[in-house]
Amino acid sequence: MASRRTVNDVAIVAMGCTPFRDHWHASADDLLVDAVRECVGSTPALTLDDVDAFWVGTQGSGMSGQTLARPLRLTGKPVTRVENYCATGSEAFRNAAYAVASGAYDMVMATGVEKLKDSSYSGLSAVYPPADGTDVDWTAPAGFSLLVPAYQRAYGVDARGMRDALTRVAVKNHANGARNERAQFRKAVTAETVENSPRVAGPLGVMDCSGVSDGAAAAVLVRAEDAHRYTDRPVYLRGMGFVAGSGAGLATDGYDFTTFPEVVAAARQAYEQAGVTDPATQISLAEVHDCFTPTEVVLMEDLGFSERGKAWRDILDGRYDLDGALPVNTDGGLKSFGHPIGATGLRMMFECFTQLRGEAGSRQVPDARLAVAQNLGGQPGSCVAFVAVLGNER
Amino acid sequence: MPEQPGIDAYAAYLPAYVLADNRLDATTPPRPGGPARGVAAFDEDTVTMAVEALRHVAAATPPGRQLLFATTNAPYEAKTSAGVAHEALGLDPATAAVDLRGHRSGATALDLVVRAGATAALADLRTTRPGAPDELAQGDAAVGLVGGGPAAAALLARAGRTAEVLERWRLPGERHDRVWDERFTAEVLAAAGLDAARHALAEAALDAVDTVVVSSSNPRAAAALRRALRGDGRDATTERATGFTGAAHPGLLLAAALDEARPGQTILLLSATEGADAFVFRVGDGVRAARGGPSVRDQLAARQPLGYGRYLRWRGLLDVQGPARPAAPAPASPPMRRRAGWKYRLEGSRCDACGAVTTPPGRACAACGIAATPDATGKVSLRERTARVVSVTRDHLTTMPEPEVAVVVADVDGGGRLSAYATDVAPADVTVGMAMTPTFRRLWTTDAIHNYFWKLRPTPQDAPPGKDTTDGQ
Repeated sequence: MASRRTVNDVAIVAMGCTPFRDHWHASADDLLVDAVRECVGSTPALTLDDVDAFWVGTQGSGMSGQTLARPLRLTGKPVTRVENYCATGSEAFRNAAYAVASGAYDMVMATGVEKLKDSSYSGLSAVYPPADGTDVDWTAPAGFSLLVPAYQRAYGVDARGMRDALTRVAVKNHANGARNERAQFRKAVTAETVENSPRVAGPLGVMDCSGVSDGAAAAVLVRAEDAHRYTDRPVYLRGMGFVAGSGAGLATDGYDFTTFPEVVAAARQAYEQAGVTDPATQISLAEVHDCFTPTEVVLMEDLGFSERGKAWRDILDGRYDLDGALPVNTDGGLKSFGHPIGATGLRMMFECFTQLRGEAGSRQVPDARLAVAQNLGGQPGSCVAFVAVLGNER
Repeated sequence: MPEQPGIDAYAAYLPAYVLADNRLDATTPPRPGGPARGVAAFDEDTVTMAVEALRHVAAATPPGRQLLFATTNAPYEAKTSAGVAHEALGLDPATAAVDLRGHRSGATALDLVVRAGATAALADLRTTRPGAPDELAQGDAAVGLVGGGPAAAALLARAGRTAEVLERWRLPGERHDRVWDERFTAEVLAAAGLDAARHALAEAALDAVDTVVVSSSNPRAAAALRRALRGDGRDATTERATGFTGAAHPGLLLAAALDEARPGQTILLLSATEGADAFVFRVGDGVRAARGGPSVRDQLAARQPLGYGRYLRWRGLLDVQGPARPAAPAPASPPMRRRAGWKYRLEGSRCDACGAVTTPPGRACAACGIAATPDATGKVSLRERTARVVSVTRDHLTTMPEPEVAVVVADVDGGGRLSAYATDVAPADVTVGMAMTPTFRRLWTTDAIHNYFWKLRPTPQDAPPGKDTTDGQ
């Protein structure tokens, strides 16, 4: 069993990311065109014709590779549509990276898009195959809220301490998002606003949940040795892990809802490939999947940033604030951006790319060298997980 | 035909809720001692109540016998509801399943239990128009009866009278019975009832019995018959706590009488509806062991009071704005059939290699990943086991007719894990570590398909560890 770094190193040379919004007047096609145009336009040495193959990630905004080929009127190019729950955008990136690393193509593009605001519902609108009707009709917040009582019980955290940590995650991420023009919500929020928001599931209120928005993002990948043909500030893929969980956490006893074992495994692969031995000190910043506030608490431990049972305390101590030792979700996270499924993974990459190139303006993390992008889908006990380490040095 | 006609086992199921006040704008306490009705929860119907009543007594129904389902309120037209109960009870395919409909169907099913050895569920769910004079006098309940022997009661005699009379009726698609002036129908039913009772007593060569039990769709007829037959009124007391439970009612009142009767005593059961059916029983020596589940008295004592607003919403009589969320998906016929063991009987698979239980059952073990051949996978029923809550949440965006419902992940004693809706409990009262018991419910109805599956309800606190208290055996 092996999960190795690719034989050829991979670099990102250009990216694009639409503002994440209620894009009432833009279709998924429009958003993809905008993201791809920004991506290609950002690098003078690059044209769309140079791209040999494409990947498009979308959970429900299109079928087949034509989701991208049609709006861009790509001619004679291979386009692969991928779907992997909420890690769909990362999955597009991962497969594109392998394609260029293999030598089959010299330049590839990973794109992701989701158009969530055309349904009348504030939430995801997945269509599942016909079934026997025995599954709980979970809302996403209900599934993730299971983390809260389990974490409290496992580590003896009282209700007030847990609430404070959850609130701090929301306040921190919205404060970061307030500095980001591309975010859906560009306003800081108070603890009071978070805690007084209407209940959605268990202890989680509306302000413990990520927003719902439309958006698209795109990245151009080449082999590392070619990167400087296009930019003098490429960002290198240092390691990458992906795990599709067996679902055992919901199918048999044992799993305790205080961790995402899939994330732990994916992170181990990514860190090993990247030569990261102590993520808590070596990682400059991280973009993580803050779909709901407790998710971010648990992820701090799964990614090796906090000791088990200590993340809630580290969060309250400001360790993950923009000016903390390890800033997390510097762009505002899903909390500020919303979560257009196919685009989110690439939006995380976009922030890592921006930070590692020193282009993050008032959000810039000083001397950012290594960044983690972590994306997951499903629910605690049964999820898919992606972790990448990106760096500005090869 | 059984060698000795009678009832071999019985069980009553009373839903967990009681409605004692149906005033819309009540500002004062309800009248003390007034009538009350049992209320099936929003996730129950006559089929789920039938399964709950029969789940501990029907397993031994021999092939070739019948499973009867008697009701005035079947969840499906055209489709046989007894088939759902048959699947959930895990009965032999050679046991027939058939529905009996109408107010008299309960007494008829009892007759077929006693004389033909059938197994029967008498189940009903009664809904009047809000504010109807008898709103608190109609109730929901189910009774399971197993024939084939006289352990609970031996039949001494019976008599029936058919009397066509327009008393209580409703058109297909209507929700509430229409009722003719009960002063007229009481006279007809009381006459038929007395005639049947006298014939049955004469055939049994008895002048008097130890216990008289009268069930009637017409309360005036019931009162008149109780007086005429010198009943002690305990049947009326039970009825005042449950309401008239339709097709279930003769079975329910009989179950309450059997709960308290001593072996050798005689019981006259008279059902007066659409004519009359009279049965004279001698209580069997095995009556105590013949009961499945708790007594009627204990179930009445355990009920939770229900507010009128919640009752109206549960019955769809008050249309309340729900969340902006699509309806839960309808189940599909082939997967329901393929996974009947899981869906209807809560059977997981047990791994031959490591012993772990996987739910829903699958070819590969969730713990060790070893895949079994389809026939080799061991089945293990989880429905009689206690499950303990690992984590819990409260869904405030539920599509069910409640402001919130609790959803739990729970580990089953002996192995296995369930993700399930909690029911018959306030969501805030569900805690990590709580002991819960599976109960068969209707999750939702989408595209005209009722979606039946198991939920979890709290195991009563006085339950011995690991033992399901609804199992009285």
